[in-house]
Amino acid sequence: MGRRATSIAIACLLAISTAATGAFAQKSGGLLRVTHRDNPPSASIHEEATISTDMPFMAVFNNLVVFEYGARQNRLEQIAPDLATSWALSNEDRTLTFQLRDGVKWHDGKPFTSADVKCTWDTVTGKVDGKMRKNPHKTWWFNIKEITVNGPREVVFHLKEPQPSLLVMLAGGFSPVYPCHVTAAQMRTAPIGTGPFKFAEFKQNESIKLVRNPDYWKPGRPYLDGIEYTIIPNRSTAILAQQAGKFDLSLTGEIPPELVKEIQAAVPEMQCLVQPSNTQGNLLVNRERPPFDDARVRRAMALAIDRKAFSDILSRGVYNIGGAMLAPPEGLWGWSPEYMAAIPGYGADVEKSREEGRKIMRELGYGPDKMMPLKVSTRNVASYRDASVILIDHLKTVFIQAELEPLDSSVWYARLLKKDYSVGMNVQGTGIDDPDVMFFENYLCGSERNYTSYCNPELEKLFHQQSQMKDQDARRKIVWEIDRRLQEDGARPVVFQSQGGTCWWPQVKGLKLAVNSIYNHWRFEDVWLDR
Amino acid sequence: MLSYIIRRLLLMVVTLFGVSIAIFLLLRIVPGNIADILFDSAGLIDPAEKKKIVADLGLDLPLPMQYAQWIGGLLRGDLGFSYVSEKPVIDEILPRIPITARLAGFAMLFSITMGVPLGVISAVRQNSGTDYGLRILSLSGLSLPSFWLGLLILMAFVHYSGTIPIYDRNASGWNWWMLQLIPAAAVGFRSAALIMRLTRSSMLEVLRQDYVRTARSKGLSDGAVTYDHALRNAVLPVITVIGVEAAFLMGGLIVTETVFNIPGVARFLVEAIRWRDYPMVQNLVMFIAFVVVTVNLLVDLAYMLVDPRIRYGS
Amino acid sequence: MKTGFWNDVAYLARRYPLGVAGAIIMTVFVLAAIFAGTVAPLDPFTTNPKASLAKPGGTYLMGADMMGRDVFSRMIHGARISLAVSIGATFLGSGLGAALGLASGYIGGMFDLLVQRVAEIMQSLPLLVMALVITASLGPSLPNTIIAIAIPLIPNVARVIRSNVLSLREMPFVEAAKATGMSEFRIAVVHVLPNTLAPLIVLATAQLGSTILTEASLSFLGLGVPEPWPSWGRMLSESAAEYVRTAPWLVIFPGLAISLIVFGTNLLGDALRDALDPRQRD
Repeated sequence: MGRRATSIAIACLLAISTAATGAFAQKSGGLLRVTHRDNPPSASIHEEATISTDMPFMAVFNNLVVFEYGARQNRLEQIAPDLATSWALSNEDRTLTFQLRDGVKWHDGKPFTSADVKCTWDTVTGKVDGKMRKNPHKTWWFNIKEITVNGPREVVFHLKEPQPSLLVMLAGGFSPVYPCHVTAAQMRTAPIGTGPFKFAEFKQNESIKLVRNPDYWKPGRPYLDGIEYTIIPNRSTAILAQQAGKFDLSLTGEIPPELVKEIQAAVPEMQCLVQPSNTQGNLLVNRERPPFDDARVRRAMALAIDRKAFSDILSRGVYNIGGAMLAPPEGLWGWSPEYMAAIPGYGADVEKSREEGRKIMRELGYGPDKMMPLKVSTRNVASYRDASVILIDHLKTVFIQAELEPLDSSVWYARLLKKDYSVGMNVQGTGIDDPDVMFFENYLCGSERNYTSYCNPELEKLFHQQSQMKDQDARRKIVWEIDRRLQEDGARPVVFQSQGGTCWWPQVKGLKLAVNSIYNHWRFEDVWLDR
Repeated sequence: MLSYIIRRLLLMVVTLFGVSIAIFLLLRIVPGNIADILFDSAGLIDPAEKKKIVADLGLDLPLPMQYAQWIGGLLRGDLGFSYVSEKPVIDEILPRIPITARLAGFAMLFSITMGVPLGVISAVRQNSGTDYGLRILSLSGLSLPSFWLGLLILMAFVHYSGTIPIYDRNASGWNWWMLQLIPAAAVGFRSAALIMRLTRSSMLEVLRQDYVRTARSKGLSDGAVTYDHALRNAVLPVITVIGVEAAFLMGGLIVTETVFNIPGVARFLVEAIRWRDYPMVQNLVMFIAFVVVTVNLLVDLAYMLVDPRIRYGS
Repeated sequence: MKTGFWNDVAYLARRYPLGVAGAIIMTVFVLAAIFAGTVAPLDPFTTNPKASLAKPGGTYLMGADMMGRDVFSRMIHGARISLAVSIGATFLGSGLGAALGLASGYIGGMFDLLVQRVAEIMQSLPLLVMALVITASLGPSLPNTIIAIAIPLIPNVARVIRSNVLSLREMPFVEAAKATGMSEFRIAVVHVLPNTLAPLIVLATAQLGSTILTEASLSFLGLGVPEPWPSWGRMLSESAAEYVRTAPWLVIFPGLAISLIVFGTNLLGDALRDALDPRQRD
């Protein structure tokens, strides 16, 4: 594997440049106080798919590479070094080689080496039993054939096919490098990383504490002495407490857009950002269960949905409208407005769509006097229920009389996976704004999270085709088409794309959030307090 | 007396045994177990790993075996291991008990210091404006949902003083007292109203008794008569309310701990149920049941001491 | 006849002014619940993005909620749900409790001991825990909410009725009935049961109010009667509480309704207690 003729070296200047610009004003010290919405299921980022774990624990770790801090969007073109100082592609883009940073130590004093990187990805790809209980992002790594090391400072990812998005996934908050010598059980309760902050304490249902890592490899960082997350399940309490000055920052994406307005009206100096929270509302229709095995019924249901009404009601029009991929201007891969207007169910004239839906239902023997009875199952969580209530109201317009069945979280996911539901309303997140993540996780035939059992081998070919493309603009065209066909087929109609607010007091400096993901900017090494 | 206490203690054991079976079975009726939740919430399941956890927890054993394991451990003082926090259950429960106990204690204290005097005043001034006013106040105590009262208090504080009286581990001095008393008032408002109503009616009964009339006719001042009897007669309603509220208080505690973000056992219990953390829920419920049963026993004994007419027979 | 009736009303109003006020409050709510379909101006389920958080006045007498549903219409239909929950749970709980109390007090012996233990076990399990477990296993729905709220009421009622029966059993008229050779069952039903009605009614009215509050607490914790059915508790909790500063009408009206009805039942209960229990008469 000696040929490196086609390799592209990507330069890294960021580490040096930030040190230079950061010389004038930053103050060191202080404890950053953050609100948290619930008890994280565990502290192990690789084992969880939730912001509850990702945000508080990301600062304990480093990745191989990260998204450039402060860039407006997380994207392939703006990826910076982290534990890898440089990387190069070779072997027709099927080999990705990383050079690793020297002198980095784990928080327990052991040196960081290439073996740790190999160990981490051997575990998450399922090659080695690392005693992880869960592996929610396993599908991200389907393309990794093997990982080899070349001395303690070089690690090589061997890929089955070229895949530019691999770097994007490696740069996300869900891809920290784990230490080889620490057990999975400890990573769930008291994780060890190389990051700017050390894990100090995790009190169940109460608080999470991180303290400054004095031996951090980046000179002069971090500025903060520590970060403390206080778990406040009641959102009203959390918001009031932040307003009273008890907290500097809120858990990201947790404040509904309407409440952000309210907070800023009450406290004008509060800084807030409302951004897509990478979650979307999906109408799930079980296509194996009659009468929903009839494509006409599914189509009528899809035609009843007024996406603008969802956005207006749930967020006063702040939520994006789009397909599976996050809509622009925040999202990189969503349809342009012109492209979207031509897609059935996305047109401005909802009444016309609904009339068409009614026509279908009449042909099937339903009408105002003979409504089709239906149970809409959903998770018993406010955001899910609210969306379901609107859905039920919309379904009435096509002669469907639905009833809500709220289910306990455990029961809900278990039933989804067993496909034991007729119609469901689900809210689902994706860690990174990337087509590979979206399509392979959710729409591949037989994939675990393909809740509606949608299967289209022809479309699957396109999934692979776009994944291998280097030209991102050409790739976008194919992604648009895939997304259009998914919506036309009613694979899993996307009803809304949520947004959420993050608020912080002006004394929090150096906080820069990318607009197309909430999961990837919580390293906190550049954040400081002006108190 | 002694034989009565022994009999009651034996019955207490029977009751607790019943509670243990009830909560054990109830938890198994609820769909979804801890293994389901740990795995399903992530959306992806590794069946082998799941099987391992189920085996570790003994969830694949027949129910009587599971029950025997739990009770056996409990009797030996081993509360088991929480798979949610990956810590021994005892380490999670123990530090939280004093927090809730303090809240409940202050709430009771609040309700007694508010309820008794107001009840006496209301009875003495029967059918006056003060009486009606106080009775309406006490009824509003019974008609306000406790979470709503808590939220109103929080909002008022933020609006008028710019501070918020939610739990703060580092609070000290004056601040500590405020953070104890405000949520306690929110919890105790209801009991205060109950005590006030009961004190009022038992006072009224006493005021009609012959000896009071006699005392009055002899020219003893109203004040001397009423306040002399007030205390004696306030004891019964207070004891009654403590007995009634012991079980009911838990609901108020759950809600108030949620609103004031107090990390006590009550809120923790709800969380543990949500996670189907069997050993945690079972042992917590046993603890609560133990407290309730003990309080009931003490209440009955207190009745006996206060009112010698009440006798407990064979 | 007519004047006689009105005289009675006037007498009652003078004797128990607060009780009559309570009865009037109750009657208004019950009528609203019964005739919800005609009284409510709009459909309580129809969402309307244009009316989201509309202020009170005009079409929306009490404003509209986040989904643009009419708060007034939801209040009226909510009366139906909330009263169904509270009356249903009170009837179920008091009925079962009274039956158990009567049986255990009258039969006595081992049966009594057993019932007492069961009652104590039920009392030792925290109410919200029971409700959480019941709704989690049966799923949130109107009947399940009623069951969940009714079960914890049983032991209290059973105990009160039992102690009442114990004292009644020794009464001369029961002894007399026994002497005539009446069957035990008939004595229990014909002679003992009617005499326990007074405390039962007093207890039930007190519980009517507290069950509404329990439903509100359950809704606050995400249990209780599921959406889109409006219940006052659900209207007051969750998202409504978050929007309290921008849209106070979302919580003021259901909050007032809950307070008023609890207030009403308590006033009525107080008056009934005074009327039915002569010792308490002022």
